Amino acid sequence: MMILVGILITLSGFVISVLSLALNSNGARLAVVVLGLAVSLFGIIGVLNRAYLKNAIWKKG
Amino acid sequence: MKIATKTLLALTIGAFCCFAPFSFAQTPPATPAAAPKPITDADVAGAPVPSADTRAKGDPDGALTGTAGDIAVTDTKKGTTIGDLVNQVGQNKIAINFVWTLVTGFLVMFMQAGFAIVETGLCRAKNANHTMMMNFMVYGVGMLAYWLIGFAIQMGGVGAVANLGGTPPLSAEHVITVFGKPFGIFGQNGLFLVHRGTYDVAVMVLFLFQMVFMDTALTIVTGAAAERWKYAAFVISSFLMGAITYPLFANWAWGGGWLSSLGTNFNLGKGYSDFAGSGVVHAVGGVTALALAMMIGPRIGKYERSGKSNAILAHDIVIVLTGCFILAFGWFGFNPGSTLGASSNGGLRIGSIAVNTMLAGMAGSFGAMLYMWLRYNKPDASMTGNGLLAGLVAITAPSGFVNPVGSVIIGLIAGVLVCISVEFVDRVMHVDDPVGAISVHGTNGLWGVLSVGLFADGKSNYGGSWNGVNGAVTGLFYGDNGGQLVAQLIGIVTLVGFVFTLSFVFNLLIDWAVGQRVAAKSELEGLDLPEMGALGYPEFELKAEI
Repeated sequence: MMILVGILITLSGFVISVLSLALNSNGARLAVVVLGLAVSLFGIIGVLNRAYLKNAIWKKG
Repeated sequence: MKIATKTLLALTIGAFCCFAPFSFAQTPPATPAAAPKPITDADVAGAPVPSADTRAKGDPDGALTGTAGDIAVTDTKKGTTIGDLVNQVGQNKIAINFVWTLVTGFLVMFMQAGFAIVETGLCRAKNANHTMMMNFMVYGVGMLAYWLIGFAIQMGGVGAVANLGGTPPLSAEHVITVFGKPFGIFGQNGLFLVHRGTYDVAVMVLFLFQMVFMDTALTIVTGAAAERWKYAAFVISSFLMGAITYPLFANWAWGGGWLSSLGTNFNLGKGYSDFAGSGVVHAVGGVTALALAMMIGPRIGKYERSGKSNAILAHDIVIVLTGCFILAFGWFGFNPGSTLGASSNGGLRIGSIAVNTMLAGMAGSFGAMLYMWLRYNKPDASMTGNGLLAGLVAITAPSGFVNPVGSVIIGLIAGVLVCISVEFVDRVMHVDDPVGAISVHGTNGLWGVLSVGLFADGKSNYGGSWNGVNGAVTGLFYGDNGGQLVAQLIGIVTLVGFVFTLSFVFNLLIDWAVGQRVAAKSELEGLDLPEMGALGYPEFELKAEI
């Protein structure tokens, strides 16, 4: 379940950055794209990786 | 004698002073130049050609070889015409570009050998055969996938590549409309290299060059998953990456897709600009490596229960550094070759692109060596090698757009960045990457893409425009309004958010279908016998870990 959530969050960062193209100012676009990057990184590091670490083999050893 | 010499000298100077102005004054005024006489077919046909008897005596100094007699003639009755001459000039230009692109492509192909021995050297001896075989067969598996479908997806709609004489059969891009603008999504011509007229000399050159780039991206992944990746899973994963993941992003950046159109459609600089593939090749490989390494988990013994990371040492640092040199050599194909020609608008920048490449590699190795030396009191060899590669990866995107000072700064930052990234991936994320591929290619691939938006100096001129937008690629530090930086960042988020996700889902499906990871027993014994059936070093005495 957490893996599915992580995938969706990571992909949503990409969608957010594409949505920035609807804006006209480069400053606003920059802010939205950086937000999209942060969301995608959170999806990878904060959700997906954490989901795998929860069952990591070295934690069981 | 001395007096005579002085007298003679004085007389000479005096004569010069007296007569020189007079002589100048007597120079007749320049007559208007005669109107240029048009060259006729008769002039061309009458150009001297060495006789057969003369040629039969040999040509030791080369003065008689390559003359008017070598120009292809369309009508032997008329002899050589101006039309023949002009066609020959055009063909020579394209021939130069073909040879340049092919030879640089051959250099990139040889990088596979560099990757193979870097990765194998950084792994343990008990996995040598398995690691070498992955690096060896990624070439064949990737090429098969790319020939079947990947090339068509990537380049099937690129349109005319002028430096290669035009590639008109590659003319069908699937386009959707987003925010009222056309978004190129994938190419449609070129399946099997015969589909819709793509059995074409220029298409063949383009295929070879793009194919070796694609294979570079694929081989990055084998390093991050080394020493525990099931060979069957590797074959399927590499096939999918060569067929779909890599070509899709490469289409968006290089094949006429939506990222390259961000300039024309949304006024974002010159659109996403990635000269030789920091993003297209290295970051695609790097984020896929991250997806797989997370999924597959660390090697047994890498982490203790407390989370403390243990170093698993390389078995042969000699071949690691030799491999780094082979890669640095191959990079002279990677970056300068991406002009796709030496005789073209901007083609002569191959010199500055090559110098930028070597400078950034040097700066990267220095940055990593100094970082490790200051932090751990020793100039770590494997990290210095990774620093060289990080500098080369980072300069790949900006190599055609920046000056030497920018190249050194980009390379230096890459050298330090790779060390910090390796520590972060290992100690914070607890993701096991035996060769540092995620940091070398992923982190520094993204840094290279970003650096275009900062350091591009606006001096490059590849025919007056880039990605269909007039002018040269210019970064924030050279007066751009930030549009180029935004275009680069959108490329970065596409890599992190979309390419990562696509790779992750593909590999998740493979994990469910055949399993990604070998059995613990096989891993402890070493993968050479269980997976490959033969040891890499049969005369070594290898012991299973406890």
